Amino acid sequence: MPYTAEAFQNEFLALGASEVNAIVTVTSSGAEGGRRTAGATEIIIVDASGSMQAEGRISAARQAAKTAVECIDDGVNFAIIAGVSTAQQLFPAPGQLAVSSPQTRADAIRSIDRLQASGGTAMGAWLLLAAQLFALRPGDIAHAILLTDGDNGERVGYLEQVLASIAGKFACDCRGVGVNWKVSELRKIAEAMLGTVDIVAKPADLAAAFEQMMTKAMGKTSADVQLKIWTPVNSTVRFVKQVEPEVMDLTGKRVEDGPRAARYPLGSWGAESRDYHVCIDVTAGAAGDEMLAARVSVVEGDTVHSQALVRAVWTEDTALSTRINRQVAHYTGQAELAETIQAGIEARKAGDDRTATIKFGRAAQLAHASGNKATEELLATVVDIEDAATGTVRLRRKVEAADEMALDTRSTKTVRVGRGQ
Amino acid sequence: MTDCASCADERAAGAAFCEACGRSLIEATPGVPLEQPFSEPPLAAKPPCPNCGVPGGVGTDGYCEHCGMLAGRSRDHLEADSAEIAAAVTDRGRRHHRNEDAMWLAVRGTDVDVVVCDGVSASFDPDVASEVAANTAGAALGKSPDVSAAILDAKAAVAELAGVGDPRRAASNPACTIVAATIRGVEINIGWVGDSRAYWLPADGPAEQLTEDDSWATHAIAMGADPAAAMRDPKAHAITAWLGADAGPVAPRTGAFTVIGPGHLILCSDGLWNYLPDPAELGAVVRDQLHKGGTLIDAARGLTDYANAAGGADNITVALVPVSNIALAPVSNIKE
Repeated sequence: MPYTAEAFQNEFLALGASEVNAIVTVTSSGAEGGRRTAGATEIIIVDASGSMQAEGRISAARQAAKTAVECIDDGVNFAIIAGVSTAQQLFPAPGQLAVSSPQTRADAIRSIDRLQASGGTAMGAWLLLAAQLFALRPGDIAHAILLTDGDNGERVGYLEQVLASIAGKFACDCRGVGVNWKVSELRKIAEAMLGTVDIVAKPADLAAAFEQMMTKAMGKTSADVQLKIWTPVNSTVRFVKQVEPEVMDLTGKRVEDGPRAARYPLGSWGAESRDYHVCIDVTAGAAGDEMLAARVSVVEGDTVHSQALVRAVWTEDTALSTRINRQVAHYTGQAELAETIQAGIEARKAGDDRTATIKFGRAAQLAHASGNKATEELLATVVDIEDAATGTVRLRRKVEAADEMALDTRSTKTVRVGRGQ
Repeated sequence: MTDCASCADERAAGAAFCEACGRSLIEATPGVPLEQPFSEPPLAAKPPCPNCGVPGGVGTDGYCEHCGMLAGRSRDHLEADSAEIAAAVTDRGRRHHRNEDAMWLAVRGTDVDVVVCDGVSASFDPDVASEVAANTAGAALGKSPDVSAAILDAKAAVAELAGVGDPRRAASNPACTIVAATIRGVEINIGWVGDSRAYWLPADGPAEQLTEDDSWATHAIAMGADPAAAMRDPKAHAITAWLGADAGPVAPRTGAFTVIGPGHLILCSDGLWNYLPDPAELGAVVRDQLHKGGTLIDAARGLTDYANAAGGADNITVALVPVSNIALAPVSNIKE
């Protein structure tokens, strides 16, 4: 079995306590021999709206798409969608997928040269076409890259409606080029489609971003891995969050699966390791009682790859029950960090400088204390950090839009706590 | 037929645990050698949960599939029953989340080896320490009746634990107490480190404590403190000698004893004697149990029940070995 699941927790609870927390680390060495256990399909969606003409974005997007195509392994199915007011398939012929080979990749690259920027932005329609193409290859590792530079032009609610209908059908990494797009809009797509969202402020950096995304996608060897969580009667799963490499709340993606059990989709997997924070509300037991609060399994279809037990042991010994588990504390802090930054950005936009200062101050403190250097540096582009340890910050008068968007999109990036300390 | 004590214990419905844990039944009964058969076979493949009562509720990992409660740990309650020759019971008690006591009882004809160990709660994996100590000392006594050598073997085995397994063991090494005894006809040899005790209870008259605790309270009393006050002190149970990597050189204290009238050798952990610190009181309670007319194991069970009824604040282990001879007058010769 290439998968392992390990739970980190302080299983000891004070009498009367009913909240059980654990960090479950799921690690996979990748499928045997690094070979995919399923076929794979890649779809590249490039915004070709009129605004893409600005700052040489469309030519950078063409270059990026070509770079991505060159990264596609032989034998992988792929297609390219040009996004305008409707979705238009740029390659191969409409309604079809190409099988990657030196020949088809060269054909695709030639067709990318025909990509012209004119028209509107209709992300719902683009994603819907992608879903139709992915439907040609059920069971594949399905991954899409979506690039845009502006706001969605579809009627309000349409994108949400599309997302509800296609969620779980494929993973979608979203990138916004420039600063005229909305982080919240792309985050909505990324969250629904188990993907990532990030800003590429300079068009020149697009090719590198596409190469990185496609290389990562090619490393996936399993299509649809899920976390199955069993809990005892009278217990509820308060939340399930991916907390590493980035924070992603999976609570709402629960699908019931048998008595007292449910599945949460984890998406496709390669040789990698991710951490999940599981929080269960149970009925408090008596001193000395031991309860299995959750049985957390890594499953693919009907195959159970690995299992971790989340336990609760009630004790009168406060030396045991007050022990803080490093993993749980660390990731609770990382999730709070992401929330605090997003709240700070919202407050700042609303003109509430006081709240923004408090939030960013707390964020600076959390980032510093947890050793999340990347986030601390991003924070420093939005506020002057006078003393990170106490969370003393001053709002900057002038903040680059790109810096604030980078802070927003990357606020969910977490760092791993040092193990074995 | 099974050798797993928890299976015989219907309260714990341990049959499922053994079937579930997949471990060999011998491993599941630490300190109880193979020659100790237990009376009852497993009841059903999946017995009802002892907590919520859902039939067939106990899952393969020992937890109830319905309420999630652990149906029984193999060490929560173990019994070793050698009919009229010897009996021993170890029980988790009511307050501790696991049983950190361990025991060993081996019977060959009328020869009996018995060991009781109590894990030091403040150390890491004390349950492993006590189990290793009891098994090591017990196995050594099977080869040679030298109690002191057996305790030193156990000390070496427990000390080794600090360097293996969980790295936290290195920071707070597994540690435990030990009291061991060999009964060879009328000759009894005992040895101990820590505050697990041995008593001799004659057929008539008060019980005599054969061991002297390696504990703060004993030390304080020896230095002239008021015994009652010393026992009430929070430090009372702090032991001054133990088995473990940080124990330094261990010199087991020993005693030899020739039985001249019928009586019972009692070994127990502080989970029992803490409710009966006075040997005379403890002897009276043991005698009550023995006079109830049940078997020896019933009496041992009765003593763990007594400690549980009194609060069950700690793990409880008690071993009873009747010894009888009609010979000379009692000579008690305890040396240190």
